[in-house]
Amino acid sequence: MAMLADRRRMNAPPGGTSPPVFASLPEAKLTKPIRTRNPDEHRKIFLRTGVVPSASGSAYYEISPSNTPRQTLVPSSSSLKITCTVHGPRPLPRNAAFSSNLLLTTHVKFAPFATRQRRGYVRDSSERDLGVHLETALRGVVIGDRWPKSGCEVVITVLEGEEDGWWADAEEGGKAGSWGMMNVLAGCITVASAAIADAGVDCVDLVSGGVAALTAERNGEGVLDPCPSEHDIKAACVVGYLQSRDEVTEMWMKGDAGSGSEALIDNAVKAAVLTRTVLAEAVKEATEMKIGKTSEAAVETTNTGKGKTKDIQMTG
Amino acid sequence: MANDAETGPGLTFPQDTFAKLTPRPYLLAHLKHKTPVRPNGRQQNEFRQPTINTGSLTHSNGSAVVRVGDTAVVCGVRGEILLASDIPHPPSDDLEEQDLVEELGLVVPNLELSTGCSPAHIPGNPPTSLAQSLSYRISAVLHDSHCINPDDLRINYTEPKTEDDLPDEPPKEVTKAYWTLYIDILCLALDGNAFDAALLAVTAALRDTTLPKAWWDPDRESILCSPVVSDSRSLRLSTMPVASSFAVFSTASHLKKREEAQSWILADADGFEEELCDETLTVVLNSGPSTGSGTTSILKIEKTGGTYIGKDVTDLCVRQASKRTSDIKTALGNR
Repeated sequence: MAMLADRRRMNAPPGGTSPPVFASLPEAKLTKPIRTRNPDEHRKIFLRTGVVPSASGSAYYEISPSNTPRQTLVPSSSSLKITCTVHGPRPLPRNAAFSSNLLLTTHVKFAPFATRQRRGYVRDSSERDLGVHLETALRGVVIGDRWPKSGCEVVITVLEGEEDGWWADAEEGGKAGSWGMMNVLAGCITVASAAIADAGVDCVDLVSGGVAALTAERNGEGVLDPCPSEHDIKAACVVGYLQSRDEVTEMWMKGDAGSGSEALIDNAVKAAVLTRTVLAEAVKEATEMKIGKTSEAAVETTNTGKGKTKDIQMTG
Repeated sequence: MANDAETGPGLTFPQDTFAKLTPRPYLLAHLKHKTPVRPNGRQQNEFRQPTINTGSLTHSNGSAVVRVGDTAVVCGVRGEILLASDIPHPPSDDLEEQDLVEELGLVVPNLELSTGCSPAHIPGNPPTSLAQSLSYRISAVLHDSHCINPDDLRINYTEPKTEDDLPDEPPKEVTKAYWTLYIDILCLALDGNAFDAALLAVTAALRDTTLPKAWWDPDRESILCSPVVSDSRSLRLSTMPVASSFAVFSTASHLKKREEAQSWILADADGFEEELCDETLTVVLNSGPSTGSGTTSILKIEKTGGTYIGKDVTDLCVRQASKRTSDIKTALGNR
């Protein structure tokens, strides 16, 4: 499958390459990972703001990988890693039409090495779709009328995505729905919320993302934060949830939930509440550090103010 | 604030306000001070210390995250297979062995700046000329240094004996396929000197790269790989290119005599300094793969813009770059 030649990038050799095919050897038998957490337990999340100093706001989100030693070269699971930067609010270009609200734009892009199949550099439809979902989730949160004639860019790079299912199954019969996208979207909502808070854009509340699923195993019980490779998912739902206002800004449900759809949404909200504790903690920590820094700097200027100003005598 | 109440509204601005309003005089005032120190607190010839982290990405054969000051770069190396039968123009036999990688295009480096790393590079646009030139420069360094051994990328097959063969003839070995290395470099945060950081990330990721054992399966007529870790082998880099960049800040202008102009060389300029400097010099030194081995040689000297850098200054910069190279090698060697 030769890729279309892109003259602005370095291209693959003209013959076209294919990803390696692994032989199934008895000494490298792969076992499907089993969920060891409780159904209502979330995986551990690492969230940190202020990772990109050149941006107005930024955050990094990671779901900690399971600490099983690697026995084979084929990774058995993937761990979500997302970075988000926010640029703005900044004035719109002069030729732009008047807008009484903050114009929010979202970009979601997977890194070429984010998934099992190598991805291209140009955004594909699934990435655009994620961008639209994210925008709806955020638009209800940002108080846009405080920034007329301004724009704000939310840029997300997924360094490592979630898998769509147990990959060995997908190779045999191909029953992988794109379940991994749901987890990626939930992560995107949470990380974008943290970055927006870091950028100091006014919001009505912190929005957090949560996923829940109905699985085929164990009598179709609902689980929070499903890891697609551990389950046989029948239906899944993502929400962007504002806890203090009890509002849902974004909901995306997939699969056949039947009569369980309401319970599924409730579960997704529960998952969002769980992620919110991490989000609030990260934002709080960052704010405390900022306040600590400014008060420290204030103290410093009072003590050594004279010496400091001497450093920069402005001449001609 | 309490301080303001005591002193009244001050007539001085904080430093960063000066830096924003009049960046050029601000930098000049710092450099002209009797103990000159750059606004970022570094000495003129001081590089930022890198932190290197390897092997954190699951889906790549080798990866590295490099942070140099406020510039952060992540690089992932992924191997895919190019069948020899798919090559439209097979390399001629008189091609020099070391040029094979370049001739077949087995190394594909791409640098992406539109990850929101700085307000100047917003995604949704084609790669900027900066991104294109960085990708090209990295590819040129990788090819010129011949750091990747073509033998590491070959997948050979020993053909079974046929009846036509002479009985004493040794078995024939043919190259059935080549590994192609996709090197994807994402700049996550940009604060000047992307090239040094990107090249460091690439070398660190290549050193971390392991390729699975692959063989030609005559029944399936395709290449199969072994998933067993102990079968895989790591890429051996024969040399290690390290880049060191310098920027020149000069007071020269069209209105002044050339002799009156003063210039300063700033090692590893950050984003603020880069904006104010027109002249840059990049020295790429090539040396043996491990600490203290082999001789260091100059692979490339690139100079753009300006007229300040002459013979003496280049000499000085190469000396500093050589010191920098050994520092980087220790940092990499400790991994």
